[in-house]
Amino acid sequence: MNKLKKSLALIATLAIASSAFVACGDDSSSSTAGNSSSTAESSTAESSATEESSTGEESSTAEVERPENKVKNDDDKLVVWCWTDDDLKNMFKVFADETDYTADNLVFEKIGGGGEEARDQYATYFDAGKSCDLFVLEADWIKDYIDDDDYTAPLSDLGFADADFNNGYDYVKKVGTNSDGVIKGSSWQATPGGYVYRTDIAEEVFGAKTPAEFQEYVKDWDTFTASAAKVKEQKNMAMVDTLGGLWQVWSYNRSSAWVDGDNKLVIDDYCKKYAELAKEYYDKGYVTKAVQWKTWDKAVQDGETMGIFQCTWCFGKNGTLSGLEGNTKTADDATEWTVDGPFGKNWAFTQGPSGWAWGGSWLALAKNANSGKIAHDFVEFFTMNADTMQKYAEYSGDFLNSPKAMKAIVDAGTNKNAYIGGQDQFAIFYDAAANIKMDNITKYDSTLKKYFNDNVSKYVEGNFADVDAMLEGFKTDVYGNVAAIQK
Amino acid sequence: MATAAQRRIKSVSYAKYGYIFILPFFIVYFLFMVYPLFETFRMSLYGNGADKDSIKLGISIQHYMGFQNFRDILFKDGRNTADFFASIKNTLIIWGGNFLPQISLSLLLAVWFTDLNVKMPGKGFFKVVMYMPNIITATSVAGLFYTLLGADTSSVWYTIFHGPKSNFDQNLLLGLTSVWPARLIVMFIQIWMWFGNTMIMLMSGIQGINESLFEAAEIDGANAHQTFWRITFPLLKTIMVYTLLTSMIGGLQMFDIPYMLNGGTIIPSIKTVACFIYEKATGTKAAKAYGWAGAASVIMFFITAILGALVFYVQRDKDAIEKKRKRKEAMKEAKRRARGGGFSI
Repeated sequence: MNKLKKSLALIATLAIASSAFVACGDDSSSSTAGNSSSTAESSTAESSATEESSTGEESSTAEVERPENKVKNDDDKLVVWCWTDDDLKNMFKVFADETDYTADNLVFEKIGGGGEEARDQYATYFDAGKSCDLFVLEADWIKDYIDDDDYTAPLSDLGFADADFNNGYDYVKKVGTNSDGVIKGSSWQATPGGYVYRTDIAEEVFGAKTPAEFQEYVKDWDTFTASAAKVKEQKNMAMVDTLGGLWQVWSYNRSSAWVDGDNKLVIDDYCKKYAELAKEYYDKGYVTKAVQWKTWDKAVQDGETMGIFQCTWCFGKNGTLSGLEGNTKTADDATEWTVDGPFGKNWAFTQGPSGWAWGGSWLALAKNANSGKIAHDFVEFFTMNADTMQKYAEYSGDFLNSPKAMKAIVDAGTNKNAYIGGQDQFAIFYDAAANIKMDNITKYDSTLKKYFNDNVSKYVEGNFADVDAMLEGFKTDVYGNVAAIQK
Repeated sequence: MATAAQRRIKSVSYAKYGYIFILPFFIVYFLFMVYPLFETFRMSLYGNGADKDSIKLGISIQHYMGFQNFRDILFKDGRNTADFFASIKNTLIIWGGNFLPQISLSLLLAVWFTDLNVKMPGKGFFKVVMYMPNIITATSVAGLFYTLLGADTSSVWYTIFHGPKSNFDQNLLLGLTSVWPARLIVMFIQIWMWFGNTMIMLMSGIQGINESLFEAAEIDGANAHQTFWRITFPLLKTIMVYTLLTSMIGGLQMFDIPYMLNGGTIIPSIKTVACFIYEKATGTKAAKAYGWAGAASVIMFFITAILGALVFYVQRDKDAIEKKRKRKEAMKEAKRRARGGGFSI
């Protein structure tokens, strides 16, 4: 009897001790699974109510047969994960202003210091049992998450039909669709790019007074290089701010993806051609030695470069250009922003040597989301409803994933971007956006881009004998870090 | 079958409760030490990546791969060979460059601080100050040096070269990220952080030496140099072995400073083996190369074990071993003699 008591005591001790280690496990899935069916019923009732209330919607979509909103509706706090609130703080403001929701319903949680970090950390957070409602994904690595049912749920769970995504640009829908054909990401942006340049230099060197005139000097890569030589000779300035920026333009125009159907690495002549061009630009000083996202702003401010490759999200209220000296960031709640320094007045915008697009952010639904109604309204507000999207575009200066809304703004001629002397960047983007294709994205893009750019940097600095040696270095990096890519 | 009395005696024996009291330690030790160790060995034999592609290809962390990971890391044309050997080289360079100056400095200071003839005011104050860097977390130290010398935030470079806006080569700013400056900075940080700790340890060793030996040496007219090499140093041997061993194990596992120094982006020239392992094991599902990380860990385990054994072998007490051997031989001899006394055909 004593023995039994003691062994019971021992087992109890063990159980208590071991509970200390399992406490951090995910218990929400088991405990909430039981009542999810009941909440689903109540949430569908609410979501059908919202459909009726949102009368601003286009009539064509109203006829579409939609699935029920299957997401739990435990609370009315929308938790959004992202690595920055540059966009989200504007979105939250407009959303709170235009709907019945208030700022208290909207919660931003910062994950990671940058896009790359967020890519790695989302999974860590999810694996640790934490969850949000929506989280933001970048084009470079969106496949990591939308192809993984452990982290994301289809947007149809929120009550959207496939047809709801047709109001935006085709490529945006395609990128948000996973390998099984399920739509899991929806974006508020479309992200064509162009070339921002110094008007004073353009006039002095080329005599070009308007962006249209200047476009003639940068219309293709040969002309661009010739113009770069001229600028270097006369003004001792570079034409491009960083090699990283140059690769963005080039990589978009590449015809093959980084890996083929058998997961084998594809290195085509295009990569070689780019490496050689990069070397030429670097050696001749057509590109500055600044590092993308690190010292590029200094290079721009010190007048080392004549232009920068920029895309839609650089022009926004909290866009890249707002970080430059003189491009004053105004208070968060201001409706307009001013540019006091010399940078605003002397810059203009043109299409540049080739069409291109860069990145963009997609909203994805977390698997364990629990605020179905507000998540539905938020996604609809920013990625489907042309009226509200137009309001947001006007407020933020971002180019949105709604041809209808953008056309309306361009036609009205009301958009004047302060960073580029009041020019309407939307007019150029509107033409460019229709042609964007992002068929070549793979889940390895952000990783491989980093290795490729690192090796190109080493090559232009003279650390590799020739392009082939550089490509070998690139291969070593890829094979040594990404096991799934076959040799 | 035990009698009732026997059972009663057994039950009043309190020794058993001792086991219950030390049980928590063993549970924690098993969960956090033994289990991970064996799990690492297991992982080193399994594949890499946990995403759909890896699973489809049959190379994911669920798939048994035999010694493929070791082949990838150790042999020519393996996927990670160059990377891994470069990281071993970095580790050894940084450890060597930090251990030798560190132990010399610590020894010197320890001797000074314990020397009765050195009358230094505020000894205690200096001891505390020198130990201080060891208390600060490595992350803060790395952050401090990143601010001072980092490529884009460097206040030191800024003060020296920038001052009034001048046209200097921006590449100067990249000081921290180039090969040797980065290594030297890490070595310096490691010395700065650990010399106080080593000093305290050596001081306790010196204080353990019988003082009359030093007095006798002084009376016999030995100078400081002779006293050190003939008395202090030989008698410090055991504590030196301990320092060497702990420093070596710590050095081979060096991670925090090299990892944090550039704000979380590891500079290639200071990528130690631990950084290599971390780099492989973290990231998205597709990038979770547990197999490679495990294999590298297992290799490090054996390297550490071999080096540790080597240190003990080199530092073994030769006299004692010789004595033991002689005694054994004498015993054998005696036995043989005793046997020789009887019949033998």
